[in-house]
Amino acid sequence: MRRDVQAIILILVGGAVLRITIGDTFLNYVQEAMRPWLLLSGGILVVLGVLALIDSIRQGRAADDEQTPHDEPHEHDDGHGHGHGGPRAAWLLLLPVLAIFLIAPPALGAYAAARDVNNSAPTGEAKAPPLPPGDPAPVTVAEYVGRAVWDDGLTLVDRTVEMTGFVTPDPAGGWWISRMAVACCAADAIASKVKVLEVPDLPADTWVTITGRWVPGGGTKTDTAIPLIEVLTLEEVPQPKNPYE
Amino acid sequence: MSTPSTKESKGYRPGSLEILAIGLVILIIGQRWFVGLFDDPALQTGATIFISIVVQAMPFLVLGVVLSGAIAAFVPASFWKKALPKNPALAVPVAGAAGAVLPGCECASVPVANGLMSRGVAPAAALAFLLSAPAINPIVLASTFVAFPGEPMMVVARFIASLATAVIMGWLWLRFGKAKWLRIGPRDHLVGSSSWHTFRLTATHDFLHAGGFLVIGGLAAAALNVLVPQEWLLAVADQPILSVLVLAGLAVLLSICSEADAFVAASLTEFSLTAKLAFLVVGPMVDLKLISLQVGTFSSKFATRFAPATFILAVLFSILVGWWLLT
Repeated sequence: MRRDVQAIILILVGGAVLRITIGDTFLNYVQEAMRPWLLLSGGILVVLGVLALIDSIRQGRAADDEQTPHDEPHEHDDGHGHGHGGPRAAWLLLLPVLAIFLIAPPALGAYAAARDVNNSAPTGEAKAPPLPPGDPAPVTVAEYVGRAVWDDGLTLVDRTVEMTGFVTPDPAGGWWISRMAVACCAADAIASKVKVLEVPDLPADTWVTITGRWVPGGGTKTDTAIPLIEVLTLEEVPQPKNPYE
Repeated sequence: MSTPSTKESKGYRPGSLEILAIGLVILIIGQRWFVGLFDDPALQTGATIFISIVVQAMPFLVLGVVLSGAIAAFVPASFWKKALPKNPALAVPVAGAAGAVLPGCECASVPVANGLMSRGVAPAAALAFLLSAPAINPIVLASTFVAFPGEPMMVVARFIASLATAVIMGWLWLRFGKAKWLRIGPRDHLVGSSSWHTFRLTATHDFLHAGGFLVIGGLAAAALNVLVPQEWLLAVADQPILSVLVLAGLAVLLSICSEADAFVAASLTEFSLTAKLAFLVVGPMVDLKLISLQVGTFSSKFATRFAPATFILAVLFSILVGWWLLT
């Protein structure tokens, strides 16, 4: 691989990283806290690439003057399976670049949520603190699952809660309001699901905000229990800035 | 300047700049058709997981190659001779323990270890560092502590089992390792006209190299994430030894960054603490992405010996330490 191509690949990879980080697309893949690090690393790659490109143009010009091919001293195979100072594996770096610029994969949605057998990460046996004040009280889907399944719904009795998630069709009919929780990046996402009662069918991956009240019957103290909620209001909303919780 | 000379004909792809340009133009023109291929939700989920692994690893990889470039360019070789004990058998545990100080994930540790070796550090010591740095650095231990509330011994167990595996592997390399399996080389072609130039050449080279192999690892992990049904995993959780082996194997396949793996391990609730410990000890030392990086950086002869030996030791120490501290 020629040095100018190497330089272009560096610029493309750095540019792709910057492209998703400026704006909020990167939140589909990783956490907000990564932003400065992504900006920094994308910037470093672009700078390295631009400097390498300048090098290669200068070398090319010098080589033309001297009537010798550019890069001459670097053409031995150094045992890395590549001559020319550039590894062939570097071509693969174009895959994520193309995926970002051409496909722009969306945030994980109903397909990933339905695949997850367990419902939410276990919250342990500790007693849940009371819900935050407010009517309705805002909760995350994972929090609702934790309170309903692992704390017998004690803190949910007689309270109206509000949560936002996307529609995952329940194979048994109806749908779950669901949300993916991400610890580090989307590769380790864990789905939380709550069965909504008596609502019209909506297409998968529709984002909704609901208010409702807990009703018993979803099962407790198991990883696969899916708690229930009786819906008071249902509103379609755009995908939140951060699709994960 | 695009005409290849006759000297370049062997192992050279003629006109790589032109191939790149034409390929990009075709892809941009065919974007609609190309995007249509990815309408399938399984493929989209796989693509999202692939991109998220690559994006998440990118800052750590860049940090790693900047560090390895800086080691190559600015730290004189004599520094390492002073910093590490002369006797390699002693240098191994010192280098292993040094891994506890340097934050960085496994994507960074391979180029850094390679940089250390090319600066004259004994391979056994550099390898102990390669294994321990991603496993026992402060960020990883902190994330483990957060992921296992009420189980602080998990942090201690992870530290002990990982350091023990790293040091024993270093000593094993000292006894049985052969220099010809490693392809370190003097890297003359990466010596530039100034320290700064050397730094740029090394960082660029290491990034292109490790990055390519990170992509392979990310693809493999994304495919497995989408293709292997979760039910299969849950079925084996009840078997004590089998569950340890399965989680150790899963760590290899999933190739999650060590900064993140504690949260994944914590989410595998059906499994015993010892099985989760195996997941945490094996993951940062042996996984698809790392094996692929090691093949690219050192050689396949190296990786086919080093990775299985590390896997076996890591599983043994996980069982021992788990039985000692976590039951």
